[in-house]
Amino acid sequence: MDELRIENLSKDYDGFLAVDNVSLTIQPGELYSFLGPSGCGKTTLLRMIAGFEIPRTGRIYLGGQDITDLPPYKRPVNTIFQNYSLFPHMNVFDNVAFGLRIKKVPKTEIKDRVRKMLTLVKMEDQAAKYPSQLSGGQKQRIAIARALINEPKLLLLDEPLAALDLKLRQHMLIELMNIHDAVGITFIYVTHDQSEAMSISDRMAVMQNGNIVQSGLPDDIYERPTSIFSAYFIGETNLITGEVIGIEDEYVQLRCHRGNGEYFEIDSTFHFPPTLGSKLTVSLRPEKIAITRSKPRNQDDFNILRGTIEDILYVGTHTQYIVRVGDLKFRVFSQHKRVYFDEKALDWDEEVWLFWHDTDSWLINEVPDGVEASVEPRSLPQRASRKGIPAEV
Amino acid sequence: MNLEAFKQVNCSQTKASRRRDLASYLLTAPALIWLLVFFLVPYLIVFIYSFLSTDIYDVSFKFSLSAYRQLFSGIYLRPFYLAFRLAFITTFACLILAFPVAYYIARASEKMRNMLLILIIIPFWTNLIIRIFSWRIFLSYNGVLNTILLRLGLISTPLELMRTDFTVLLVMVYVYLPYMILPLYSALEKMDFTLLQAAMDLGANEVKAFFRITLPLAAEGIFAGSLLVFIPTLGAYLIPQLVGNQRSLYVGQVITYKIKNIPRNWPMASAMSFILLLLVAIMLIAMYAIYRKRTLAKRNV
Ligand SMILES: Nc1ncnc2c1ncn2[C@@H]1O[C@H](COP(=O)(O)OP(=O)(O)OP(=O)(O)O)[C@@H](O)[C@H]1O
Ligand SMILES: [Mg+2]
Repeated sequence: MDELRIENLSKDYDGFLAVDNVSLTIQPGELYSFLGPSGCGKTTLLRMIAGFEIPRTGRIYLGGQDITDLPPYKRPVNTIFQNYSLFPHMNVFDNVAFGLRIKKVPKTEIKDRVRKMLTLVKMEDQAAKYPSQLSGGQKQRIAIARALINEPKLLLLDEPLAALDLKLRQHMLIELMNIHDAVGITFIYVTHDQSEAMSISDRMAVMQNGNIVQSGLPDDIYERPTSIFSAYFIGETNLITGEVIGIEDEYVQLRCHRGNGEYFEIDSTFHFPPTLGSKLTVSLRPEKIAITRSKPRNQDDFNILRGTIEDILYVGTHTQYIVRVGDLKFRVFSQHKRVYFDEKALDWDEEVWLFWHDTDSWLINEVPDGVEASVEPRSLPQRASRKGIPAEV
Repeated sequence: MNLEAFKQVNCSQTKASRRRDLASYLLTAPALIWLLVFFLVPYLIVFIYSFLSTDIYDVSFKFSLSAYRQLFSGIYLRPFYLAFRLAFITTFACLILAFPVAYYIARASEKMRNMLLILIIIPFWTNLIIRIFSWRIFLSYNGVLNTILLRLGLISTPLELMRTDFTVLLVMVYVYLPYMILPLYSALEKMDFTLLQAAMDLGANEVKAFFRITLPLAAEGIFAGSLLVFIPTLGAYLIPQLVGNQRSLYVGQVITYKIKNIPRNWPMASAMSFILLLLVAIMLIAMYAIYRKRTLAKRNV
């Protein structure tokens, strides 16, 4: 089968390791994403697979064949470049036909296949236009058609949607998935947008500093991050450090410092054997935490904290609360539910209860550098006014 | 908005645009007048002179077709042939030599690029005649090159490097090369080089990528550069005169002789000038038509 196997691949630019000993296997027909912050080596990895960069060490196999030393034009791999790189002196038809003309495919067959491709990307009536006459989304489709017509074993997409506006991006994402389903070719998708990667991928890899720090199913990575980096990079999270003070069958007890020499305890399920007395981090997704004015009744299997609302951010689909617990700040996302036990909306500086189930605390065998407190929120949406924003809970 | 109001707005818009047209005419007028007085009128005089009769010192105002009759009878065709041959070969040689240079400059880093461009432009700072004379010093019988070759023992008698057809070509290429490099550079500099990677990604090797992507995208520069080299080469006088020989006279030289040397033949000089202009005009129009069809029409419809 045409699986892609990468073994110990490294690449350096003047001694700077852009890709550091990466190994991975991608199954035929998969839609696989590389996700990571800017400069983590995604493009470099992709360019090595395409043949534009020569790896320093390591091998690349496609369908059992070693393609590491093949020039780009001899690889059964095609790329969608970030700026599409359509040929400006050729119309849509000639752009799409380019690969077939190089291979000297008969004219009538070219015509046929180009038409089929243009139909697939819904551009059948635009064949005579030139790239300068196309919109961003249309250019995107032509770039896809131009690549797929060569029937590659592997299609590489380097941030293909980065140049499009939000609505179009969402639309093209679905379109891309449909095209992927229709052609059944392996797609490798590079992005630094985590929601894009999560929604499109069969599997994905999180990259940091040229390394793959975690790979797997999107929900696996979201729900069960193995490092602080993946927990923090994918979605939003609260990171709380604590010391293991008790280990039961089902859960561990952590003692966490809230500042001023005061402590609170968190119960958490675990997926690796923790040692008593060791320092660990709990990753707690903001949407797993419930926030109420009155004390929750059911207290078994729940972690309960008392805090003060420091900030309220209404973002339409939900409200984000920043709740202070001692020196720690918790981010809490809450849907606006009409039917709930409280009537009045929560307000700034109100005392509230936070609670979440033991199974929603996720243990990470790592301590954040230096800081012991939870991490400050990275980016906050614009806030209209300080007070008076409705937030029903 | 109701229809009347819409019409009014439309009307005032056309008025405004008409005013703008007038303004643009007024602004281009000086250039047009300049062209009329210094280009069209002189050529008209040349055209009229070509139908006059010769006199030893100037012309006599009697209608005559003898200049054209002589021109097409044979001996006068050779200078045309030589000039066209020289212009074609020079243009082609410049193109072949300039392309890699322009390509290299276009791909160099910004700092490097500016320095290389200055190096290309530096020869313009020296007078053309001085540059041609330095070639004479370099290539002549007792010149620099022959001396070096003799000293090195590579030759035993000096080579005849001056006053050959090849010398003319050599100096022509030397003088006009920058005129080819600069427009080529400006076309290649605009080119997005990731397009070559895209072509290679789609199965084209380096050679195919060059012919299908780089070359068509440089068409603008090739066209402009070729014109800048071809047209002055065609009427070249100075270079053939200073480094060429009397066996191969180019059209520019013959025209000059007919004007300058006694007995003068101004109608002949005029007829040759006019035919030369006509040929260039026909070629230009043909090239422009091809160029428009192949590139311009495609990109800016
Ligand atoms: N041609 C190059 N020369 C030197 N360093 C390079 C070169 N290309 C990339 N790098 C470096 O290698 C590292 C990885 O770059 P790469 O382009 O792969 O990042 P990326 O993950 O694609 O980032 P982004 O999300 O911003 O596109 C970066 O630190 C970058 O500075
Ligand atoms: Mg990149």
